[in-house]
Amino acid sequence: MGAIMIESIFPSDGDYQLARKLLDAAALRQNAIAANIANAETPGYHRVDVSSSFAAQLKATVENGGGLKTADSLQPSISEDTQARAVRPDGNNVEIEHELLAMNRNAVEYEYLTDVVSYNIKQLKMAIAGTVSS
Amino acid sequence: MLPIGSINPGLTALPLSRPEALTGSPAAGTDGITSAPGSSNGFGTMLDGLVNLVDEKQAAEQVTTQKVLLGNTDQLHQSVIAMQEASVALSLMVQVRNKLVESYQELMRMSV
Amino acid sequence: MNLISGTDITADALSAQKTRLDIVAQNIANAQTTRTPSGGPYQRQIVSFETELLKQTGGSSLETVRVSGITPDPTPGQQVYNPQHPDAGPDGMVTMPNVNLAYEMVDLITASRAYEANLSFAKDARTLAQKTLEIGK
Repeated sequence: MGAIMIESIFPSDGDYQLARKLLDAAALRQNAIAANIANAETPGYHRVDVSSSFAAQLKATVENGGGLKTADSLQPSISEDTQARAVRPDGNNVEIEHELLAMNRNAVEYEYLTDVVSYNIKQLKMAIAGTVSS
Repeated sequence: MLPIGSINPGLTALPLSRPEALTGSPAAGTDGITSAPGSSNGFGTMLDGLVNLVDEKQAAEQVTTQKVLLGNTDQLHQSVIAMQEASVALSLMVQVRNKLVESYQELMRMSV
Repeated sequence: MNLISGTDITADALSAQKTRLDIVAQNIANAQTTRTPSGGPYQRQIVSFETELLKQTGGSSLETVRVSGITPDPTPGQQVYNPQHPDAGPDGMVTMPNVNLAYEMVDLITASRAYEANLSFAKDARTLAQKTLEIGK
């Protein structure tokens, strides 16, 4: 009984849970970009990324009013990027500039998501403790 | 929750019961803190007003952040600012609450 | 503990690119070497990369890179007429190493760029990990 009570303090829906799920995707994208940059010269390598189906499904779930609880089993996964452009003669389709831009963008998204999560946690802490921290 | 003003109507005469001093503009209205000067429920109304303010700011934050998270807008700054505003609103409310409780306790300590 | 995502892949890439840079340096240094312990002129070395499966994460797998081998370039070197040269054959021709400085410079630049890209990724990953540690603070 006590455990259930405490669990309901954390927002079960809304941007807190959404941000947590998106953080999963951002962390996974980190790995994908690392693999792409590492294999920028490897013959036959095709660039990978987090499947776009993850974000699309998450968005659909939220916009259709279904709570994020129903999207609990939705996990981001890595797949080959079908939108990748020009393939070089050796079969490699990684463009380093593109990867570096993706890396920067992912960094900003990641930091923003941690900010959203932090904000929610800090609000809770402030309300509980009654002390004001910045 | 008993508004503090009702314990001793004399309290309303104190400057603390005039929330306009905090926001500086009772006519603005949108902040949610409104109180006619000399009303008999100064603290109660003020706390109510603050709670409404926090509610408002948090709701606004949810809306903008949700939009950004779902990719419906690229106005990142709106969301960040909304988060800060909600945070400030909650801080303000908590501080006011703390000060009020402190003052009440001090008053109670006074020997009559 | 794998605390910072992506850095083991990046570490592999950095050492692979470094090997490549080393080989390029070796090629350039020996561009004029006409005599080696094994006889004959220096042969240009080529580094080849291949992917190595790192982990499976549902869908596709993440692949890291490694050096699959350092092989000599079989193309024959240029023959230069220089009867004064100690290694000249009976016809006065000297076989020079098959190192083309232009190719080596391009290789050098590409390898450096790849190395720097991996390095900036590693820096970024660290910043993100530190930011993660500050959640709620």
